[in-house]
Amino acid sequence: MLEDSPQEEEWKRALWKKSSFPDNFVPGSFLSSLSKNPNFTPYTYWGLVVSSCAVTQHIATIFTFLTVFVRLNEGLLDPRLLVWISVGGFLTGYATWELLECSSNHNTASMTNRAKTVKSSILVFLALMSLSPVLRTLTAATSSDSIWALSASLFILNALLADYTGFRPEAQHRERLTSVLSMNAAISSGVVLASRLPSDVCVFALTLFSVQTFALFPLLRRRLQSGPTGVHIIVTIALCGSCVSFTAPVSSLAAYLVCGNFVFVTFVAPGVLVWAQRYKNEIRGTWDPAVPKVYTAGSSL
Amino acid sequence: MLEYRLTVKDRMVCDFFHPNAGGVENHIYMLSANLIRRGHKVIAITHSHPPDRVGIRWLLPALKVYYLPFPTIASSATLPNFLTFLPYLRTIVLREGVEIIHAHASLSSLAHEGLLHAHLMGVRTVFTDHSLFGFDDAASILTNKLLEAALRNVDAVICVSHTGRENTVLRARLLPQTVHVIPNALVADQFKPMPTIRSNDNERNTVTIVVISRLAHRKGIDLLVATAPRICALFPNVKFVIGGDGPKLIDLLQMREKYMLQDRIEMLGPVQHSDVRDVLVRGSIFINTSLTESFGIAILEAACAGLYVVATRVGGVPEILPEDMISFANPDEDDVVRAMSEAIDIVTANKHDPIRAHERVRSFYNWCDVAERTEKVYDTVMQQEPYDFWTRLRRTLQLGQFAGPIFAIILIVDCLFFVFLEWWIPRDDIDKVEMHWNQDDFVEVWMFILICSFRTDQCI
Repeated sequence: MLEDSPQEEEWKRALWKKSSFPDNFVPGSFLSSLSKNPNFTPYTYWGLVVSSCAVTQHIATIFTFLTVFVRLNEGLLDPRLLVWISVGGFLTGYATWELLECSSNHNTASMTNRAKTVKSSILVFLALMSLSPVLRTLTAATSSDSIWALSASLFILNALLADYTGFRPEAQHRERLTSVLSMNAAISSGVVLASRLPSDVCVFALTLFSVQTFALFPLLRRRLQSGPTGVHIIVTIALCGSCVSFTAPVSSLAAYLVCGNFVFVTFVAPGVLVWAQRYKNEIRGTWDPAVPKVYTAGSSL
Repeated sequence: MLEYRLTVKDRMVCDFFHPNAGGVENHIYMLSANLIRRGHKVIAITHSHPPDRVGIRWLLPALKVYYLPFPTIASSATLPNFLTFLPYLRTIVLREGVEIIHAHASLSSLAHEGLLHAHLMGVRTVFTDHSLFGFDDAASILTNKLLEAALRNVDAVICVSHTGRENTVLRARLLPQTVHVIPNALVADQFKPMPTIRSNDNERNTVTIVVISRLAHRKGIDLLVATAPRICALFPNVKFVIGGDGPKLIDLLQMREKYMLQDRIEMLGPVQHSDVRDVLVRGSIFINTSLTESFGIAILEAACAGLYVVATRVGGVPEILPEDMISFANPDEDDVVRAMSEAIDIVTANKHDPIRAHERVRSFYNWCDVAERTEKVYDTVMQQEPYDFWTRLRRTLQLGQFAGPIFAIILIVDCLFFVFLEWWIPRDDIDKVEMHWNQDDFVEVWMFILICSFRTDQCI
């Protein structure tokens, strides 16, 4: 092909020019604008380990919830105690949140906001209490096996869709659909598990606990995650430790599984990702849609 | 010219065709019309548009269009099903004696099927790709694999720009030698610049900037929203005329309201393709802020109508016009403002001659040339030896560990389906088309009838 082409005329990348080259002529500059992995910054192992702490924390919460359920179901835990633990957890969490709000410059929480929080928490409390007799018999006609399978799949869905990014109050924040779905899956799972419990108080205690762990705690977790790394790691270790210590008395096999799970998510999975990066091959060229750079405030929606 | 009559019958297969309007539709129609002028017989096949566009229709220069009864899902695309097109296609190919199938557009499932079935009837294949695709999202990965499978055994591919060619070669893993670059063209007579020079002093000082585009993110409307108020502030004699519709319309309206530019930015709403020229000639600068563009026919139309063009340097846009007819900008707010200022200076200093620009574009692009170059591709394809069945199967299996066996199964099932059809509707039972529309004969007969009726009138 190259030998046949007329040498006196230089090939130009122009469509408007009448050229004596055949239409399928392959110029030397063919694909010269192709670049591979142009703005690729490889992940570092320890950075990934810190990021994966969020996932570990979430899994620890799920397992803690499950052990609480098992204890309630077998009568090893007094439901009234669980209610008090939930209330105490809520108050501690809320106080931490307020402290974080005060420490950051964005002091947006006013008295009216606090009053609203108190009002809605009382409302949730009362609503759950009045609903618990209904929830107890909700799945009476369904066999327990189906409930285990259902709740397991709902928890898996919850863990897959959960939002593991840090939460910054100053950044404009929009709740993503997946994180809402994730929360709903976990709450539904809590409800179907609660419907297996023997008494109304148990049902109430477990649903309240599920709201605490799956609706409110993730907010605090994400808030802490965007804070200093040390706090993040300490919270992770505390959560994992408490989760294992709760699980071990119920079933030692489950405790080993949970430990293995934590090690895999925190230490093995980041290693696998770092290793897999060698296969990354991102192709960029002039055909890619350009990213517009717009500076005027307000015009970028 | 008319003596040069080829026996080749080509066929255009695409989901996107008249009565829908658009770049691909227009391309197919103009290419077919010019191939017919060069003595080919062209048949177009597309899906039907119930209730009124069904069956077989004739379009003006003897273009026969088959509208097949396939339901569309979205944006005029049919569901990919790989096999259901074969009974129609076989009958049409046998009736019409088709020799080449020319499929258009990489997201058209009819086109993909046409390429898959063609070899069963011994028909050769050509494919034209009109669009650019990335490689980095799930949808692109899937459609690129589909395209690769469809183009595995194609005889030749045509792309509309050098950038498009590089993109298609990578997406479908083709040999670059089999891919030809034949640009789009335009009918220069439809985009003549305004002949009279405006004498009014006030009018003369005003520079009107025209934008005609689908108002979508891909067309870079965010850049326009950011730059238009800055240009209005920099140049008090500049006006904007914006035509088009789309999801970003609301952003433009908000911008106009925020900066109180209602008297300087005119929004026209959707513009019919037949009215584009009239909108274009109202201004002297055309701006296109697309983020990706495989060819940019809108830029060419504007340049042909005598406008100076400001465009973002993306995709195939840098290839279509010489540097002195167009100002390029990077897709960046400051640089677009710089390029627009440059363009306004050039136009106010009368350094841009619309009539000359029109003549230049006319000399660069015409459909006759496109048809001639396409014909050359057909000729080379007809001279090549086709792949035999086992080569096809081997090449299909090389597609990949997962895709290979899947598409090999589709290929084999397709062959079995063809054998079944040969038994069910034997070739000999299919009527062959013997007569084709001939525009010259029609005109001759029509003149004869007119003359006869004129004479009878006189007798009475």
